Amino acid sequence: MSLRSWLLLAPLLALMTFIIGWPLAKTVAVSFTDAKLLGGDVHWLGLANFQRVLAAPAFYEVVWTTIRFVLISVGAEFLLGLLAALLLDQKFHGRGIVRALMILPWALPTVVNATMWRLIYNPDFGAFNALFTQVGLIDAYRSWLGEPGSALYAICLADVWKNFPLVALIALAALQSVPRELRAAAVIDGAGPWSRFRAVILPYLIGPLTVAVVLRIIEAFKVFDIIWVMTRGGPANSTKTISILVYQQAFSFQQAGLGGSIALIMVLISALLIAGYVTILRKQGELK
Amino acid sequence: MATLTLQGIKKRYGPVETLKGIDLDLEDGEFLVLLGSSGCGKSTLLNIIAGLIEPSDGDVLIDGQSIVRVHPKNRNIAMVFQSYALYPNMTVARNLGFGLEMRGVAKADRQRAIEKVAAVLQIDHLLDRKPAALSGGQRQRVAIGRAMVRDPKVFLFDEPLSNLDAKLRVEMRTELKKLHQRLGTTIVYVTHDQIEAMTLASRIAIMRDGVVQQFAAPQEIYERPANLYVAEFIGSPGMNFIHGELRRQDGRIGILSKTGAAGASFLPLAAANLAAADAAIEARIDRPVILGIRPETVTLANSSTAAAPHLASFEAQVEVLEPTGADTLGTLRLGADQVTARLRPGDLQQAGGTARFAADMSRASLFDPETGLRIS
Ligand SMILES: Nc1ncnc2c1ncn2[C@@H]1O[C@H](COP(=O)(O)OP(=O)(O)OP(=O)(O)O)[C@@H](O)[C@H]1O
Ligand SMILES: [Mg+2]
Repeated sequence: MSLRSWLLLAPLLALMTFIIGWPLAKTVAVSFTDAKLLGGDVHWLGLANFQRVLAAPAFYEVVWTTIRFVLISVGAEFLLGLLAALLLDQKFHGRGIVRALMILPWALPTVVNATMWRLIYNPDFGAFNALFTQVGLIDAYRSWLGEPGSALYAICLADVWKNFPLVALIALAALQSVPRELRAAAVIDGAGPWSRFRAVILPYLIGPLTVAVVLRIIEAFKVFDIIWVMTRGGPANSTKTISILVYQQAFSFQQAGLGGSIALIMVLISALLIAGYVTILRKQGELK
Repeated sequence: MATLTLQGIKKRYGPVETLKGIDLDLEDGEFLVLLGSSGCGKSTLLNIIAGLIEPSDGDVLIDGQSIVRVHPKNRNIAMVFQSYALYPNMTVARNLGFGLEMRGVAKADRQRAIEKVAAVLQIDHLLDRKPAALSGGQRQRVAIGRAMVRDPKVFLFDEPLSNLDAKLRVEMRTELKKLHQRLGTTIVYVTHDQIEAMTLASRIAIMRDGVVQQFAAPQEIYERPANLYVAEFIGSPGMNFIHGELRRQDGRIGILSKTGAAGASFLPLAAANLAAADAAIEARIDRPVILGIRPETVTLANSSTAAAPHLASFEAQVEVLEPTGADTLGTLRLGADQVTARLRPGDLQQAGGTARFAADMSRASLFDPETGLRIS
């Protein structure tokens, strides 16, 4: 790049460095200390915070919970999104309305969605309990969010409901980019539905879907708000993800230094995921 | 090797009738070109033959057998699309063989068929490439190869050359013609390019608003257009239309042009025209008609043209001269109408004056101004 392009970029770079770099630098700095949220003496600890985090079995439990959340949520969002897109790609009456309706969950703010699902799961009058007892799947009302065995799955369901439309939307757009003549050519070539999907549709789906899924993974990995509103990481830490842990350490227990170091570990993992994402994008760019 | 018959094909989209009863009958090995302006229903008709669209009414027969209820893949037709529609993620070889693969042809046989077609189309060196790594002309060949490989009874082409640049288009046109001569397969070819239609077709069906205007050999369509629409559509520069009245003067029947700045001219019909439709012409005397003459049938008059009975001479104002190299287009004023003449370079030195011209009336067409139909 020429000097001029750098100069033109400079104001934005400066702003970005300040907005992103400053808090990041602060987090890095704090993670090597025993800083408390409310101030007081601060001592340099070196890598001690990290050693403490990585040595604690509880940390790995939290990581495992996070991974389960990511796998279940994103996996289901992918499947459901793809199916919904294939369905909405068919011609039927009222397709436009259904397409518009499908976007609604995604347009809801996460906190609203989480609150709504808390009501749905309510152990005394929740719709979920009503439905399941009425169709005979369960005998008595249960506290879906209050039991360690079901809480994470319950949250996943709420998350899937909100986020599968994004995958569906991207998949639908991809489906519609499949040229009509290409589909016709496959019909004339004698390809059945499955061969048509594999030979004609999948090549157009795979790129956008990968991007959608990777984006969702990165996002799901950082999950905080939906869990915080629905369970605060409980019961018995069964829904405690890394973000919740960071928040609890830094703010509930006021251990800014320890929280900072966990946050930093999370940033590193995120960075790896993002590097993967960029690689995928670049590969797709080369293909074109 | 197959005949193709279309009987009363209709297609309705809601209240709109896109095809209004198409009847065409093709002999074995014919090259039919469906020609018409955008939106006239050419692609719809082609897709009906392919089985991608169901007709609202009518029948499609190959070798006398109705195929409207037959699935596209079992119709024994192959189609080449305007966008080529190659499978982007497959190699050229697999693109070529995909139809065979779907029909369960063994790999070795497939391979042989692919190689044969690739050799004919000179794309053997491209077999391992993906479509994205091909030029437009190469993609075109692959698309044609994909159609050829299955050895279908009928080829369908939907504007296959329209995405190529002008030079390549001419080259591929010639190649298509060679290919047809070599394979002898029945072809239905859609285009809105009249040159393509004229050069390729054994017969042309000119369509307008879902109706076939004329179905005939190219030269027949050019020389004897069935109506004003066809006459206008075919030929470049287009046919000249002279508005006037049919009159009997000095014992000869001819067209008296409308009176313009330079007066009116009387153009006697040639014997050929009169004989063809005597009664029809008699009935029209003293009534308005439109005379159609092709630009190349108008020449500069001289001593030899005056003697020829089929040449009608007239005096006209020369408004513009446009040299194109091979010939010079002269814009003349005949009566109230403008006439383009394809003159020899050097016939006239400059525009502005008047000159005498001769029109070959044996190649002229006479139309009814009300119905637009050909009288003779
Ligand atoms: N699915 C459809 N629903 C409603 N109208 C349609 C549909 N498909 C085609 N038409 C109409 O039918 C008419 C003929 O379309 P068609 O594609 O056959 O035209 P065409 O002659 O191939 O034109 P072009 O030269 O532009 O390709 C057009 O007016 C088009 O708008
Ligand atoms: Mg078309």
